[in-house]
Amino acid sequence: MRVLIAMLVLGCTMLITPTALADSPPVPDAGASETQEDAAEERATQFVGVRGPEAESISGGALLLAAYSVVWALLFLFLMRMRGLQRQTAEELERLSAEIRASEGR
Amino acid sequence: MSRTHQSGSSTVWSLVLFATLALFAAALYTIFVVAPVEQQMGIVQKIFYFHVPSAYAMYIGFFVSAVASGVYLLKRDPRWDAVAVAGAEVGTLFCLIVLLTGPLWARKAWGVWWTWDPRLTTTLLSGMIFAAYLALRSMGDTGEVEKRFASALALLGLVNLPLIHYSVQRWRGVHPTVITGKGGGLESEMYWALGLSFLAFTGLAALLIWARASIERQREESVRLRLELMHR
Repeated sequence: MRVLIAMLVLGCTMLITPTALADSPPVPDAGASETQEDAAEERATQFVGVRGPEAESISGGALLLAAYSVVWALLFLFLMRMRGLQRQTAEELERLSAEIRASEGR
Repeated sequence: MSRTHQSGSSTVWSLVLFATLALFAAALYTIFVVAPVEQQMGIVQKIFYFHVPSAYAMYIGFFVSAVASGVYLLKRDPRWDAVAVAGAEVGTLFCLIVLLTGPLWARKAWGVWWTWDPRLTTTLLSGMIFAAYLALRSMGDTGEVEKRFASALALLGLVNLPLIHYSVQRWRGVHPTVITGKGGGLESEMYWALGLSFLAFTGLAALLIWARASIERQREESVRLRLELMHR
């Protein structure tokens, strides 16, 4: 369960961090289009990263595969954890029962 | 009598297990073979068929945990406490699935991994409440005071559940409302895929809560035996 909680906390942190680090979007200059530009000024003078869906095209198939993999992986981990917990508890019960029987026999 | 009861439980357990496995097989076939690809979003929309039922399974887990916690506070019966722990764990598992599969869909549909939409925020809040519950319960052999405090926390989590459900109707946000909204809804094959997934996740949530509660009762029994041994 600690792994599950750690994953939840990590997930929340990963979700919050980009929002916290995000800059406010650049405000377009309304008068810029009205100014006359010569040949030199037409050249790019800065690179601005596009924010949002145009920036890159992520394959929907890859996202779908990732989502279904996450579901099965988490379910598998949870089942493994339950199996381990059950085994540990059964051994503990066996040991304690044996100790109680031994103390009654004395 | 006890052995007969145990045998009956085992039969029910096996039946639910096989039904759930069959439902998962049918759901996956319907999702990937029968249901059409969505026109606007493309194949990534198929995340929806596991994302929404996971949210529903999360509701089941948290609701069971809160109700069992309430009964435990009234009766102080450790069996209800075991059910509460099981519900909280299973609910948190499905909450994690919802919070991880949602952003994978949102990145394609909205262009961002996360946005502070009311439904997303209230779901995250619920996850945090029950994560706090589990953190409290995982601190060694929990005493009576911790159990009662955790039960109150689970009841607080119950208050948040209707907020998640009605947040899309009451507050403005970007989360889709294709099932509960008044729009075009889904195509019939999509309804079949979603319906089968709902049934499969219901069975899965029931099985996991059942199994986890059984282990928790055994843990309670081992604690009782340890105390008995100490007092001899």
